Amino acid sequence: MEPIVSLTGVTRDYQQGEVVVHALRGIDLEFRPGDFAAVAGPSGSGKTTLLNVMSGLDQPTSGTVTVDGQTVNGMTKSEMSRLRLHRIGFVFQAYNLLPVLTAYENAEYVLMMQNVPAAERREKVMRLLAQVGLEGMENRFPRELSGGQQQRVAIARAMASAPALVLADEPTANLDSSTAAELLELMEELNQDKGMTFVFSTHDRRVMRRAKRLVLLKDGAVEHDATPDVLDGPESR
Amino acid sequence: MKQLVRLAWRSIWRNRRRTLLTVGSMAAALALAVYFLAIAEGMYGRLLYQVLRMQAGHLTVENAQHLDAPSIDLRLSGVPTLRARLQDLPDVAITKELIVGPGVANSGDGAVGVAIAGVEPSVEASLSPLIHRLVAGSYLEDGDERAVIVGAELSRRLDLEVGNKLVLSSNDVDGQLVQQMVRIKGIFKTGSLDLDGHYVQIPIGFARTLFSMRPDEATQIGLLLHDPDQLSTVQRQVAGMIASNQRVAVWPWQKIMPELSSFMKVDKGSNYVLQVIILLMAMFTIFNTILMSALERKREFAVMLALGTSPTRVKLQLLVESVILGVLGCGLGVLLGSGMALATDGISLESIMGGGFDVAGFLVDPLLLAKLTPRITVGLGGAMVVIVALMSLVPMGRISRINVTDAFR
Repeated sequence: MEPIVSLTGVTRDYQQGEVVVHALRGIDLEFRPGDFAAVAGPSGSGKTTLLNVMSGLDQPTSGTVTVDGQTVNGMTKSEMSRLRLHRIGFVFQAYNLLPVLTAYENAEYVLMMQNVPAAERREKVMRLLAQVGLEGMENRFPRELSGGQQQRVAIARAMASAPALVLADEPTANLDSSTAAELLELMEELNQDKGMTFVFSTHDRRVMRRAKRLVLLKDGAVEHDATPDVLDGPESR
Repeated sequence: MKQLVRLAWRSIWRNRRRTLLTVGSMAAALALAVYFLAIAEGMYGRLLYQVLRMQAGHLTVENAQHLDAPSIDLRLSGVPTLRARLQDLPDVAITKELIVGPGVANSGDGAVGVAIAGVEPSVEASLSPLIHRLVAGSYLEDGDERAVIVGAELSRRLDLEVGNKLVLSSNDVDGQLVQQMVRIKGIFKTGSLDLDGHYVQIPIGFARTLFSMRPDEATQIGLLLHDPDQLSTVQRQVAGMIASNQRVAVWPWQKIMPELSSFMKVDKGSNYVLQVIILLMAMFTIFNTILMSALERKREFAVMLALGTSPTRVKLQLLVESVILGVLGCGLGVLLGSGMALATDGISLESIMGGGFDVAGFLVDPLLLAKLTPRITVGLGGAMVVIVALMSLVPMGRISRINVTDAFR
């Protein structure tokens, strides 16, 4: 099976004043359809940078990133936008819903950008909102929703265009434990039932344990890439 | 597009007070500009209306050399025939014959140089503003002999009253010195020193006697048009009509009264510049608001870009927001300004300014008049919308340089 995302020898350096920060150091990774992978590691280990590079929001300093068969390196801003619009869904830590749009309109946003016909949009969005448990809340604005509900809308928005890959940056970080658990269940369901690929960053062990695959980063390099069983080992405690 | 407009519309109303202040400032500045320009336009219109009725009109037919070297001997002949043909032109409302020449008014108390205008009393009765400015006596009538109306200033300087005698001296068409005694029939007061002190009117028949002209002669034929905008068309028609006679020419009022035309152009131009400067000062505040409103939403724009919205579309949203603000502010401003102009149109300022005032030597009624033209309403309003829209270029540039990953930090 062809990988959805492939990173080969990816590095990312930042200039921070006089100091060069090596956020990623020679990452070689592949994510395949159906993956439900957690990217974990301590703060500053390069989790967010890795997701940004995978999504084309950031360019690697060296190495190659391929998304759904397309090489991201050297793409123009517009080409990157198109790639993200059609192939990648995003879930952010801070929900990042557009405050002037209702839950329905937020979930519909990407579909409108893709010029999907109105009837098809409506059918999809209503189904998705029901699926994430927000039936009857379509006309609420983000300020009228709880954090968990907002993150559900964000998930509905990410799933709306049935992207090849959903990238989620610490999706449960701002949620209480029970809401976080509900949200993970929802993501698992979508992964199992729809075969949707999820790659999410976290430093919550409970979240890591629910992943099928765990990529542990340390100082910008992959320290471990296997099942989350490693978390049960004595060195992880 | 629908989503773009929806996003833009809701975005501008997320801070209702700021938007209302922005729209309000824009509207207030434009309303004042529209109002003052309409009042100025009304004043020019009224000035022109009065001057053209007292002078020859929109177009003047006269001897081709008269304009460069005004002299009583440079006259037209065959006037009744030519006048009848001119009167038949569909855009011509009124024609009139005039004999205008220089002279001196003498009384026992002195002599004053004057412009002597021989007019048709029955035609002038329906046109000339002087009739409404009589402070003593009455206006001329057809068939009057040796009658004259003079300005209040002239009568004061020569110590004359209605019924008193006056001697008009001039040179006739043959260059001979001529003198005629006339009796004052009326005294007018316009507020214009030039008119009140140096202008007299006599019946055209008597003017022919004074200047030794034949009955079919005059110095000018004046044409007043139904629609002043047809001036060029009628000028071309008249030029075609008189083409066979090289000694006759037709001039628009701007050529006959260049000082008035220049005054109006300069005054109008400076008025526009002043209003536009004031508007631009107001727009600078609005620009600041638009810029701040965009920059405080950096993160939101970053989300849109992350979701795959093209940078062009994000910029387009800023443009649409500015256009909406511009249309609201300018639309309201034009409506308010027009309303104010219409509400004060025709208000008399006689109690403040007296009987009239002098603009570049011409008389203007002390009336607050407003004339709304498409140039003021659509032109100025449209230009301001474009300026407000152009203001979005700066925030567009700033937003297009957003680093999405930085914006999320």
